[in-house]
Amino acid sequence: MEKNKSGLRILIVDDEKGIRRFLRAALNSNGISVIEAPDGAQGVDMALNSHPDAVILDLGLPDMDGIDAVKKIRERSMAPIIILSVRDDESDKIAALDAGADDYLTKPFNAGELLARIRTIMRRLTTGQEESVYRSGALEVDITRHIVTVKDRAVKLSPVEFDLIKILVMNSGNVLTHKKILKEIWGKKEEPEDALHLLRVTISNIRNKIEPDPNRPEYILTEPGVGYRLFEE
Amino acid sequence: MENNFFNRIKGGEFILSTLLVAFVTAIGSLFRGVIDASNFTVLYLLAVVISALSWGMAASVFTAFFGVLAFDFFLVPPYNSFSVSDLKYIYTFVGFIITGVIVSLVASRARKQAVDTKQREARTAVLYRLSNEMAECETLEQVVGALRKNVGELLNCSTAVFMPLTDGITTAGNDADFPVDAHGNAVAQWVMSNKKPAGIGTSTLSAAKAFYVPLETSSEAVGVLGIKTNDGRVIFNTPEMELVTALANQSSVAIQRAMLAARSRDMELAKKTQALQAALLNSISHDLRTPLVSITGALSALTQDFEAVDAFDRKELLQAAYEDSLHLNEIVGNLLDMTRVESGSLRLNLRQCDLRDLIGVSLKTLKDKIEGRPVIVDLPGEIFEIPMDFALVMRVFINLIDNAVKYSPAGSGIMIKARAEGGGAVIEIKDSGFGIPEQDLEHIFDKFFRAQKPRQVSGTGLGLSICRGIVEAHGGKIWAQNNPDHGAVFFIKLPLMPAAAINTGKGRG
Repeated sequence: MEKNKSGLRILIVDDEKGIRRFLRAALNSNGISVIEAPDGAQGVDMALNSHPDAVILDLGLPDMDGIDAVKKIRERSMAPIIILSVRDDESDKIAALDAGADDYLTKPFNAGELLARIRTIMRRLTTGQEESVYRSGALEVDITRHIVTVKDRAVKLSPVEFDLIKILVMNSGNVLTHKKILKEIWGKKEEPEDALHLLRVTISNIRNKIEPDPNRPEYILTEPGVGYRLFEE
Repeated sequence: MENNFFNRIKGGEFILSTLLVAFVTAIGSLFRGVIDASNFTVLYLLAVVISALSWGMAASVFTAFFGVLAFDFFLVPPYNSFSVSDLKYIYTFVGFIITGVIVSLVASRARKQAVDTKQREARTAVLYRLSNEMAECETLEQVVGALRKNVGELLNCSTAVFMPLTDGITTAGNDADFPVDAHGNAVAQWVMSNKKPAGIGTSTLSAAKAFYVPLETSSEAVGVLGIKTNDGRVIFNTPEMELVTALANQSSVAIQRAMLAARSRDMELAKKTQALQAALLNSISHDLRTPLVSITGALSALTQDFEAVDAFDRKELLQAAYEDSLHLNEIVGNLLDMTRVESGSLRLNLRQCDLRDLIGVSLKTLKDKIEGRPVIVDLPGEIFEIPMDFALVMRVFINLIDNAVKYSPAGSGIMIKARAEGGGAVIEIKDSGFGIPEQDLEHIFDKFFRAQKPRQVSGTGLGLSICRGIVEAHGGKIWAQNNPDHGAVFFIKLPLMPAAAINTGKGRG
């Protein structure tokens, strides 16, 4: 097994020993080294002082609200944070994402999902700048030239539709909350129903134009109750 | 009681007695001077008896004295004067008065007894009727209703019944014109605590707008009856009070009985719930253990001697353990959903949601299970917005589509259709499988019910009851039918306008 091939070091903050063990095994075998903290206080401390490349943070910590932990880390560190949470906890996920977390995984998750999330975040981190051309399957988005093609066929998007697909592309693979999209595209600070309606209609229109089967989207994925994510291969 | 005019006006019996004396005097005057005046006393005694029997003691004593005066004035010489010529008439007068009073006493007592008997009979009839009505009552509401109806009709009044709460008192039913206000409730509360009547006509809280009587059994006060007579007459300390007390006593027993019955029903329910919980635990343990056995088995085989297991079997064992752990997760998810539905802690995060989006995510979640199956989605337009909790309704769709897959042959199609209809959205999920036995259609949404398995179908038997819980929490309806050709159709109807009653919890956004 190749160890530390990537040279990445990730901090795991979780009170469950079993979960830390599984994460350590899965990450180590992919060349990622791991440091661990069993509670929020140590987790925040290590995140700020041990300079990990990314943090995997369980929202259900014994000593601290996970969202507070996100906020504390964000005060002094821009290291990507992936949160772990259970199903039916959309409000916590959204709060954590809005507090500065980069993405989330719903427990139980498999190693493949976890590594995909880490790769997505790390790729953005290592390239520094978002790529100007994004490809997924037959979909190709050229941000600088304002061109979207599906199967090499150009798709005509309205300016708002293009703005929307652009921020999805720039965060491709990561979830974008409704709130964040409304703020970026329409400059809204709140989430009024008419703006959300506009967002749903815009998403629906883009899907009609780019998805092979708009009834079963493959590119623009919905995160129930949270937001949207552009699929990344 | 006679119902003639004179009995209804105050002092009517004295007018009648006066008329009677006048009549007797007129007859006597026909024979004045013809027969000895002492004989006329018989006529006057007759008048006393008649008056005693008809109008009671006071009237007959009045008749005796007034009769003596009339006798003296008109029939005893010298006529038209109170002076008496013969001393023997003085003895006649005294004898007459004594006889008259005694006759009055005896006759009026007889009359009183007759009147009492009549009243008692009337009251017995009323109580008998009430007791019959109460015997037919099953619920507290019915008992209270019967009491109020009878009291209202008998006493020509509006009524209210008050019942105790853990802190304070509440009306368990009242007529529209019965004054229910804070003051009235305070009086009722006093009556409840002190077990004594109060309000109009009594010396306690007499400023109240109505009269309040405790409804008490030998052991406790079960409520308070409020009476407001339509003509404003007072009930307390009148003959009507006896009737009220009798009615109150009888209904108190019925109220207590109804309360005890309700309590025992609750206990019965608690017992049944307990039995159900035991069955639930049994079923859950079984459902949880089955995948666990396979997981533990596979992993123990690998940890015991990893090298001895060849690469192919290793992969097989791990794959089996992985699949069963996913299944385990599904069961736990269902149990969590069920707990939330059952405990009523289902808080809806109601928002407009695009149905096409919701179906898309559900299908994606079930991607592996619907592999190789044609799925047709037929929606009215590109965006169909329905107010709902996205994550919860998604559970419904996943359960229903998963069911359609489980209960239909591999490779057969699934159809999802939706339309707007009468202020609601009707969604159909149709398979071309084995259908549902007609007798089961009613029960498939019950907890733990599972239709006859056509083959090995796994699951907790909770899925559909979770669906029902979620749909009903949205103010919607879920039901199933069989296709005329083959397969089953599940229908969901969701309101397009969220009802105000829907429990919209803040939180998950």
